[in-house]
Amino acid sequence: MIKITDLEKYYKTDELQTIALNKLSFEVKEGEFVAIMGPSGCGKSTLLNILGMLDDSDGGSFIFNGEEVIDYNERKRANIRKHNIGFVFQSFNLIDQLSVFENVELPLIYTGVKKAERKKRVEEVLEKMQIMHRRKHFPQQLSGGQQQRVAVARAVVNNPKLILADEPTGNLDSSNGNEVMDLLTELNSQGTTIVMVTHSEHDAKFTHRIIRMLDGQKVAENSLV
Amino acid sequence: MIRNYFKIAWRNLLKNKGFSFINIFGLSIGVAACILISIYILHESSYDKHVSNAENIYRMTTDYSKVRGLNGTGIFFSANTAPTVLNDFEEVENTGRLMAVQSFYGAGSNDIRFDGEATQHYEEGFAYADQSIIDIMDVQMIYGDAKTVLTNPKTIVISKKIANKYFKNQNPIGRSMYLNGNNQDPFKISGVMKDFATNSHMDYDFLMTLKDVEFGEGTLNDWSFCAYFTYVLLKPDIDIKAFEQNMNTILIKRYLKPAYKAAGFPSWVHLEERMKIGLQPLTDINLYSSHIFSQLNFSNDIKTIWIFGIVALFILIIASINFVNLSTAKSANRAKEVGLRKVVGSTRRQLIGQFLAESILISLMAFSIGIVLSALCMPLFRSMCGIHLVMPWSSVMFIATTLLTSLIVGILAGLYPSFYLSKFNSVNVLKGRLSIGNKSNALRGGLVVFQFTISIVLIVGTLIVNKQLQFILNSKIGFEKDQVVQLYSTNVLNFKTKSFRDELKTIPGVANASISDFLPLKGSNRGGEYFVKTEKIGIDESIYAQLWSIDENYIETLGIQLLEGRNFFKKDKADRETIIINQALVKALHLENPIGKNISREGGRSWEIVGIVEDFNYDDMKQTIKPLCFVNNMSNSVMSVKLNTTDVSATLAAIAGKWKAFVPDVAFRYKFMDASFANMYENVSRIKAVFTTFAILAILVACLGLLALSAYMVEQRNREMSIRKVLGASVQTIFKLLTKNFLVLVIIALAVAIPVAYYLMQTWLQDYEYKIDMSWSVFAIAGIIALAIALLTISYHAMKSALINPAKVLRTE
Repeated sequence: MIKITDLEKYYKTDELQTIALNKLSFEVKEGEFVAIMGPSGCGKSTLLNILGMLDDSDGGSFIFNGEEVIDYNERKRANIRKHNIGFVFQSFNLIDQLSVFENVELPLIYTGVKKAERKKRVEEVLEKMQIMHRRKHFPQQLSGGQQQRVAVARAVVNNPKLILADEPTGNLDSSNGNEVMDLLTELNSQGTTIVMVTHSEHDAKFTHRIIRMLDGQKVAENSLV
Repeated sequence: MIRNYFKIAWRNLLKNKGFSFINIFGLSIGVAACILISIYILHESSYDKHVSNAENIYRMTTDYSKVRGLNGTGIFFSANTAPTVLNDFEEVENTGRLMAVQSFYGAGSNDIRFDGEATQHYEEGFAYADQSIIDIMDVQMIYGDAKTVLTNPKTIVISKKIANKYFKNQNPIGRSMYLNGNNQDPFKISGVMKDFATNSHMDYDFLMTLKDVEFGEGTLNDWSFCAYFTYVLLKPDIDIKAFEQNMNTILIKRYLKPAYKAAGFPSWVHLEERMKIGLQPLTDINLYSSHIFSQLNFSNDIKTIWIFGIVALFILIIASINFVNLSTAKSANRAKEVGLRKVVGSTRRQLIGQFLAESILISLMAFSIGIVLSALCMPLFRSMCGIHLVMPWSSVMFIATTLLTSLIVGILAGLYPSFYLSKFNSVNVLKGRLSIGNKSNALRGGLVVFQFTISIVLIVGTLIVNKQLQFILNSKIGFEKDQVVQLYSTNVLNFKTKSFRDELKTIPGVANASISDFLPLKGSNRGGEYFVKTEKIGIDESIYAQLWSIDENYIETLGIQLLEGRNFFKKDKADRETIIINQALVKALHLENPIGKNISREGGRSWEIVGIVEDFNYDDMKQTIKPLCFVNNMSNSVMSVKLNTTDVSATLAAIAGKWKAFVPDVAFRYKFMDASFANMYENVSRIKAVFTTFAILAILVACLGLLALSAYMVEQRNREMSIRKVLGASVQTIFKLLTKNFLVLVIIALAVAIPVAYYLMQTWLQDYEYKIDMSWSVFAIAGIIALAIALLTISYHAMKSALINPAKVLRTE
């Protein structure tokens, strides 16, 4: 599903250039659940942004679903993104002004799904995430665990092939964290590919494979299956 | 503590340079505009206030609002009114007369020559005056005794300006001055007066004595010959209302009625109903004279002053709103600072103090820059409004008022932001749980709506004022003003006038030439009578109509349309019993088949109507066309020459050549009629220019605010927009989402502004008899302009946000 080869990314400020990704290469197969680990600043989030086509790379190759996407323009990438990729963030990134229902509905609006169909699908996924009773609430009225469940619901409502999760349990206590991990595991078992950045060895144990990074390079890989 | 406040305020200004710039610069523009307009308003409302005793000086007026064909207030009185008023009323300290009717016995403009010199010079600003005018108006002398300068016959007082022009560093007293090529009977210069102040309603350079002067035989004792402005100085503490009433009653009963009766005017019976004599305070003359007809010099209108004042206030309000909006908008960026300050022990009061110090600092800076800006723009503004205005640097009031206003603006503008900011709960803020209040968003929205409402009203106002003026200048006025040259001082030709006229007609390029100083231009000779159908004398109500003496070429030369009947015959004296009248008089007298009918002057002779001319506009376009009639007679100080040539300068040279041949020692003076016509509306044009400029400024300041506000609103929503982008929103979607809210505000403003603007402009247009229709297109254009400006302003930041890399925004979260 994902194949990156010699991927490079630099950050430039006025005085110095930092290497975020240094000729990084790996592959993720369809249906896999992969964890990416490493200390702060090793390039995990940068990698996730590039995989999510939110950010450009400065060199290398990125094949998504058999397509070389490295030179795609903003519009093409946005199109691939909205049909194929769901995101889960550490800080949930729900829109405060929108209700739970509206937050989850948003991706469907942008992919042009009709209203009746949207309602059906949002309710289905809220049901599945067990937050249907909270659908009219606003994010600030929910606990962290509930907010992250809404975020996961939003990530999966479009039935993406790939979910990119950036420390999805980072802002949650252990029981809420475990719930979210269970949710992700279940989604994976139903066929969704997941790439998750995490600091937590505990969470990493839920995955099939751990890619360990340091200074923008892959330093180790452990298979858990 | 205060020092600390200002230090931090200063650092904050430096930290947010763009924000500070817009805040300070926007307010400076507002302040500068406000200062300039205030100086203008102060100047206009200071007219004649410097005259000592100003509060007891009045100009006499006659209210004719009930007279058909006149409908207004007159300021002309008979020669014997002033002495009679002084004699009969013990409340009166002094009275004086001034005669300034253009081209009437040398009032207005003349060619002058001093003794011992050969050349003639054209000068304007002549008037006849009593010595008592010098006393009442407290005219100051440089040379000559103010108490006696005009007491002797044939004396003249000249202004310092004229003395400097012709007698540099000399005392000109005793020198002789000849008018219009007349080599006998000169005026003797008896004094040099200080120039009349720019804020004096009198603006004369030559005051000729009225001592022993009679404008036509018997006019000194004729109550119906009215050519004099009459000024009255009352004793202190007179009940003006009661005095006016008493004076009106006595003058009419004791003098006017018997005089009219004796002269055989049937109108003497109705005199009390027709006229009401009153007094206009000297200090009201400049601003409260729009109801007075045949005003000789321009006076401003209190309405204009109000409009300008409101515009100035609007600009200041818009600039202050920017201030409030920007300060609260950027509050989110300072929430953390507030939280931390509270944690380390700052009280709410100290925080309010700090934020107020900041806003006062900004205000003080803005006012300082604004003062400099207004001084820099002063020359431009001066030429725009045509008045010699100066910055009142030495005025303590000016400095004090400006400083006080800047403090008030600083405090008012800083009050809301400081209370709003200091209210933040430190725990929530530091935990990142600050939600941007809906209340402050609503307030900002409301203020933006208010700003744009003002801007749209100003846009509509500008469009309509411009359209109306264009309409006046270009609309059918009923005569042809183009390619008509007016030759002045033609009375020096004396008995050769007609032969000169006929000689002119032989020049190729001259289509026609006519002699008459009754012209369809404001300020030219006027005179009227009461008319009635001859068979209805004593039965019908008489109608006031202008009575103009013209020659047989007049109607053709000025392109006036003869609708029925005939013109005067070319042969002299053939047409002494005939009259040509305009449609307005036909209507007012209810004449059916008027040709061949007779009309009579009240108590006088009768004429046979031989022609009807189409109504043409002979005064201000503000007024309706009033009744008018022509008689075939001489009034010879102006000649109108209609050209029909592409080589105007050659034709003019030929006319000048003929003039030299006829009167070699008098300068050839001419004016183009279309230029004189445009001159009539010069002040309206000036006001238009000033209004347009300040309206554009107001809109500019509003846009500046919108630009900064959109930057902050967009910044606040950056995270939301990034999330939407991650979820698949396109650039267009984001752009639409960001601009939509602002456009909704502008549309609300439009909805509020349209009725307001409609009402205001309707009121303004009421003054004009001939006016444009306020079509919906004006409002549509104003709406489109406002929307376009707003969209353009917001687009910059919306586009920036729409194109932002969401990964960057979400990373910094």
